[in-house]
Amino acid sequence: MISKKVILTGSFGVGKTSLFNKFLYNRFSEKYLTTIGVKVDKRNVNIDGNELSMLLWDIAGEVSQDKVPHSYFLGTSGIIYVFDLTRPSTFMNMARDIEYLKNLLPGVSVKIVGNKTDLVTPEHLAMMELELPLPYDILTSAKTGDQVENLFYALGKDLITNAASQV
Amino acid sequence: MPTPSNAQSEAQSIELLKQILLREDRSEVEQLKEILNNPDQLSERISPIIEKHLVHMKQNFPVEYNTTIEKIITKKLENSQEELLNTISPVMGQMIRKYVQYQFQLLKEILDAQLDATFNQGIIGKVRGLFGGKAQQVSSETIIANLDRPLIEEIYVIEHYSGILIGSASRLETIDIDVIAGMLTAIKSFVEDAFKRGKEELEMIQYETFTILLENFHSYYIAAAVSGSMSMKERVDLENSLAKFAEKELKVNMQKKDGSANLIIKQKLEKYFFEPQKKALETGTSKD
Repeated sequence: MISKKVILTGSFGVGKTSLFNKFLYNRFSEKYLTTIGVKVDKRNVNIDGNELSMLLWDIAGEVSQDKVPHSYFLGTSGIIYVFDLTRPSTFMNMARDIEYLKNLLPGVSVKIVGNKTDLVTPEHLAMMELELPLPYDILTSAKTGDQVENLFYALGKDLITNAASQV
Repeated sequence: MPTPSNAQSEAQSIELLKQILLREDRSEVEQLKEILNNPDQLSERISPIIEKHLVHMKQNFPVEYNTTIEKIITKKLENSQEELLNTISPVMGQMIRKYVQYQFQLLKEILDAQLDATFNQGIIGKVRGLFGGKAQQVSSETIIANLDRPLIEEIYVIEHYSGILIGSASRLETIDIDVIAGMLTAIKSFVEDAFKRGKEELEMIQYETFTILLENFHSYYIAAAVSGSMSMKERVDLENSLAKFAEKELKVNMQKKDGSANLIIKQKLEKYFFEPQKKALETGTSKD
């Protein structure tokens, strides 16, 4: 089995912990409890016959990624960068953040995720896409669970491909 | 004008009259005097009255005097709190001392029982005791040390930064070893980052008598969770053992790419640390 560290990052209140809990325990809470420091958990997934152990780090949200403790990112193979579809302020720094992360971790797999699809209309979504500094990879709803499994599986697939290319 | 003889006669008449009129009263007075002067007779008369009153008092005391007495006692207590404390404290102190002595006595008995078990041949122990008592004393110290001896509970070999578990072994069954390794790494990262002490690394986490020693190497670190009191010497010994283990076993086995590294490291950790500890526990011998 391959083990890989995956980080969920982004601004505060975008739903990182909700995605984390949905993927790990299939549960969602309307209560907002800010994450203090970091929470670590693990889920083993089978991707196309390959066993992958995803060690997930749900870290406290920061407006800008350079404010996150540097050491949290070290040793990371995959990053899930989450923003809130209803709050433009959560994707304003996206381009700079992604560049910062890619410089810090060359070769890392990044998934840009727009969360809270349950709160936006297709019209709002279409307008918002025009404002995004970078294209997103997937849109999710931690509340309904929509696309949550697909997000982690897509990242897992990248991690396995990267691991195979490194051997 | 009355003559002297007439006057005398008049006085005698009055006296006679008095005797006639006051005879009964005088007799009663005499009787009373006799009763008063005779304790037995007086007691006979008064006792029933006192007894009657006593019975009444017994029956009605709480009703009639409770409130008054309560008030008096409360006031007395208020006025003499310090005095009371001074009076009670020595008694309480004595009670506590007695209890502590009793507990020490129990401990001593437990130690004696262990001593007997340690010196299986009790007579040898007694003979040793006779010749200076040195052997017996050393054993007591050993036993006291063993009461809270350090025990390695878990050892993890963890990749730096990613927190990915390379291998681990436990004295008892442990769940979610991967998560423990991840969280330890997160805590380590947080502390090292928060205090920005250059290249200094977190070396120990301690709560109560549970210690997690963190021995840092180039690409990984070893976390050893130890329960019980650990002296500085024991800590240094364990650190040396971990360093020796890393050099001898990890260098080679971590390179294995066939997926067997985790299992091999687990077996090696058990062989190096847990099996000797288990043996020592079974035989009851101290590490030193």
